[in-house]
Amino acid sequence: MAAADSPSAALRRRDLCSRGIRLAGKMRADVVDLLDAYVERQGLDASASVAAVEGVPPAAVERWDEQTGTQRLLENLAAYRAFRALLAQMLEEQREQLGDADAALGRALAAVLLQVSAFAYHLEELLRLESRGIPGEEGAGPPPPPRLSLFEQKLRGLGVLRELAQWAVRSARDLRQLAKPSPAAGSAPGLAESP
Amino acid sequence: MFSRWNWVACGFYLLLNICSPEASGGLVQSCGHIIPESPVLALGSNFTALCILNESCLDFGNIYANQIIWKIKNRLVPKEQYREINRTVSSVTFNDTSSLATPLTCNILADGQIEQNIYGITVTVGLAPEKPRNLSCIVHQLSRLRYPMTCTWNPGRHTFLDTQFRLRYSWPQETFPDCIPKDVNNSCTIPDVQFFVNTEIWVEAANALGKAESDPLVLDPVDIVKPLPPHNLSVSSGILPTVLKLSWENRISDAVMKLKFNIRYRIIGDRNWMEIPSEDTASPRTSFSVQGLRPYTEYVFSIRCMKEDGVGYWSDWTEVKAGITTEDKPSKGPPIWRVIDASHSPASWTVHLMWKALKPFEANGVILQYEVTVRDKSSLSSPLKKYNVTSTNHTLQLPNGTYEVTVIARNRIGASPPSVLLIPASNSKAPVKNLRTLPKHDKLWVGWTAPNSYVLKYVIEWCLVSSSSDCIIEWQIALGDVQGIDLKGIKPFKCYLITVYPLYADGQGSGQSVQAYLKQDRPSKGPTVQTKKVGKAEAVLTWNHLTVDEQNGFIRNYTILYKTIDGNETVVTVDPSKTEYTLSSLTSDTLYTVRMMASTDNGSRSGPDFTFTTQKFGKGEIEAIVVPVCLAFLLIVLLGVLFCFNKRDLIKKHIWPIVPDPSKSNIAQWSPQVPAKHNFNSKDQMYPEGSFTDVSVVEIEADDKKSFSEQDLKPFDLLKKEKSTSEGHSSGIGGSSCMSSPRQSVSDSDEGETTQNTSSTVQYSTVVLNGYRDQTPVQVFSRSESTQPLLDSEERSEDHAGGGDSTAQRQQYFRQNGGQDETSTDRPCFERTKQITHANEGDLVGFVQLQISGQSSQPLGLGMEKNTQEAALSNVLQTSTEGQTVRPETVEENPLSVDEMPKSYLPQTVRQGGYMPQ
Repeated sequence: MAAADSPSAALRRRDLCSRGIRLAGKMRADVVDLLDAYVERQGLDASASVAAVEGVPPAAVERWDEQTGTQRLLENLAAYRAFRALLAQMLEEQREQLGDADAALGRALAAVLLQVSAFAYHLEELLRLESRGIPGEEGAGPPPPPRLSLFEQKLRGLGVLRELAQWAVRSARDLRQLAKPSPAAGSAPGLAESP
Repeated sequence: MFSRWNWVACGFYLLLNICSPEASGGLVQSCGHIIPESPVLALGSNFTALCILNESCLDFGNIYANQIIWKIKNRLVPKEQYREINRTVSSVTFNDTSSLATPLTCNILADGQIEQNIYGITVTVGLAPEKPRNLSCIVHQLSRLRYPMTCTWNPGRHTFLDTQFRLRYSWPQETFPDCIPKDVNNSCTIPDVQFFVNTEIWVEAANALGKAESDPLVLDPVDIVKPLPPHNLSVSSGILPTVLKLSWENRISDAVMKLKFNIRYRIIGDRNWMEIPSEDTASPRTSFSVQGLRPYTEYVFSIRCMKEDGVGYWSDWTEVKAGITTEDKPSKGPPIWRVIDASHSPASWTVHLMWKALKPFEANGVILQYEVTVRDKSSLSSPLKKYNVTSTNHTLQLPNGTYEVTVIARNRIGASPPSVLLIPASNSKAPVKNLRTLPKHDKLWVGWTAPNSYVLKYVIEWCLVSSSSDCIIEWQIALGDVQGIDLKGIKPFKCYLITVYPLYADGQGSGQSVQAYLKQDRPSKGPTVQTKKVGKAEAVLTWNHLTVDEQNGFIRNYTILYKTIDGNETVVTVDPSKTEYTLSSLTSDTLYTVRMMASTDNGSRSGPDFTFTTQKFGKGEIEAIVVPVCLAFLLIVLLGVLFCFNKRDLIKKHIWPIVPDPSKSNIAQWSPQVPAKHNFNSKDQMYPEGSFTDVSVVEIEADDKKSFSEQDLKPFDLLKKEKSTSEGHSSGIGGSSCMSSPRQSVSDSDEGETTQNTSSTVQYSTVVLNGYRDQTPVQVFSRSESTQPLLDSEERSEDHAGGGDSTAQRQQYFRQNGGQDETSTDRPCFERTKQITHANEGDLVGFVQLQISGQSSQPLGLGMEKNTQEAALSNVLQTSTEGQTVRPETVEENPLSVDEMPKSYLPQTVRQGGYMPQ
């Protein structure tokens, strides 16, 4: 919290939080739209039950309100790094399966991937402002995915997008919580943004 | 000699060296080369090139660097720019590369004369790229998910070189592919951008001379979005007549940005937009209620949006959407006016009420009807009269008086406030003063000075004055505090009659009128002039006024232009009110051409030419000549008559001597039987019919016509047959007076004329006499107009009575006179005598015939007379017998002489004893 003492750092933090909240909101909206398109394009049932995706921290946690800001940021960063890798893999698989036949779905996946990357950047910047070291990606990344069948790839993609949608909601809440003026700083006004 | 051969050998070697593949290891081996090879140079910089000769060429061809010459595009470079570095290298220096051109060649002068090219290079001159400036970007929303970003910049000066521009952008931890412009060098579009991450954007420009980068632009693309405008805009009317509700859909997600809006609207047909205050629409929404609108009015709306915080760009306006407010009751009553026609009867009016339809913003709906109420203010007991009218006028027949007229407009919602017009019995109040007009572009301003009293309002009437149509009144109401209005719809070149009435609370002022034109032009035709009267030195011209349609303006004057054929034109200006003018001081008996010109403020136009000729004599000149001449003539005649009258005795003595009364002469005792013995000649021979043509017949009436003998009347019968128009009566001897010429007595017989010509100096009168005072009548008496006294003739007659040569003379004379007689000239005298003897009865008939014709005035032909003679003969004879007891006896005693006496007696007498023509 040392960096939060300077006004510019507080402004930067506030700006990062604000953008992050809005990015999370847009990301959720885009993921929701992408989910519909994905289910349709992949021929899946929207109500299909999907197992938890390996390597992605669950969005739902107990005692969420008791978490510290750093803890929130680290969990978010781990999750979005995992999403970045999973989405990149999905994009590759989608290109292999459909080629350029469904460019719209590919563009939407790429756009979400970019937003995940941008959000991860926001988290890293916030962690930097928190004067906390940024964990390396080597250990945080998901384990190498096992060789899956095509159907399993589709289901896993569906699970990734659903989890990402949930994480977008949680991330917005986390950042809003972070944006609240801390008792120590006391100067940064709270943000009324909603995702 | 050696030197020449040496140079020839050198040139040959050079040629071989250049062309020999073997020597060069390729197709061409040069004797030298230039450094640098094809450089790209900055414009304006200095440049040095080196030409380096091959050593092999030096030894064989005696070629050295001092023989090198430099050329730019076949133009020799001045030797001051050369420098011989050593015996194989020559350099050339250019202080400004702008003087360079391609190619730059290194040449050598072999033997001082033959120029050989050693090497050449291409020089490219240009500029390094400038730093791109003014980089700006905008994100155009194409759909709900597509947000391409277009950046533009100023590429700087032209470099004359191939320069690459590329748009680069990156996140701190991510670099994206460059955007390379196509066909342009100042803009590029990135297909899709991500929001909420600060993105660094910059432009790189690079060419052979260098590279430049713009200042980086760091922004979140969401802050430079130009969103799509809302769509599905709809307009619906609400409960209130002044409210319309707009609804729409936004095409950008709230997750991307929240929007604020601008709403503008206008009445259909109006060009000016009105806008909802921006603070009312500064929050995200999809509907808005526009208030304060006019009832029953159609509006169009348009809307746009942008990011709520105002960072970014406004979207385009949506397509307009129309909506109409609901009706409301009319907001005011219709303006009302009247035209009163009192021409039929002074005690009764025909009142034409007229009012203007309410304007849409006043009517607030469809006017269904007007309610007209008329109240007679002069009679409190008279009931109100109400009329429901759907048109905007109404005609009433009212007795002369003061009335209050009220008009209410009613639509589906309700009624308007009433409009009241007071119609006084007389317009006795003060009128406006100083009424005037002034054209203002396409409007006519009418101004006036208000009366002293307070005026409620003014009514301005105007109408187009035309000779071809009636004056259709238009009118307008102005408030009482204005003193001038603009009249619209006024046509140029037309005359308008404008009248202003002041309306007071208790009456109405009389109208003041003025005529005006919005614009004037010259008349469309000129007046047609003609003469009303032309004299010797003056002419009265007359013309008709131009019709108001032909005037095109106020006629300021007429101009009369007249001239003779070869004379100068004279110009006369005439007051426009006149229609007649007298030209004076004209030359007599001269052809004049006159035309007339009518002038307005904006020009003139002439009418057709008219020509007239002045008279030779003036009025009264002819009378002044003729009257005195006539008077002089009459005076002379009068003097002559007076002279004659005074000298009548002398004149009478000379030209009309006194004829002695034969009855008083001693010949009165002369017996008619005496000349009978001389009557041996045929009667026809003695008295041919033509001989009577020179004779005036004088009838001397006696008491009893019956006393005429049949023989006496015989000559009348003959005269009647040939000259029915020459009957004459005289009261006595000399009935053919001295004033009447003998010719006047015998008018229309050529035979007579011939006869007269023959006997021109001998004229006779035949005197038919009754018996005078019981004397034995002398039946026929002929008088000569000879001045020689008859008594002398008688004496001579007696002297020559028995002379045989006298007979011969007489016969000669009558034969000469009777030469024209058709019936008698060929017959012998004795034969004629016999006929006459038998024609005694016919003579009597001829007498009777004369009397009949006098009564019936129906002439009968001679043949017919003879046919009827026999039938009437017995009666006539009977009558004659009864009336005259003596004459039948005379006839019986000497029938032949009685028959011949009227025709032959006197000539016989004269020729036997009296005057004879010479």
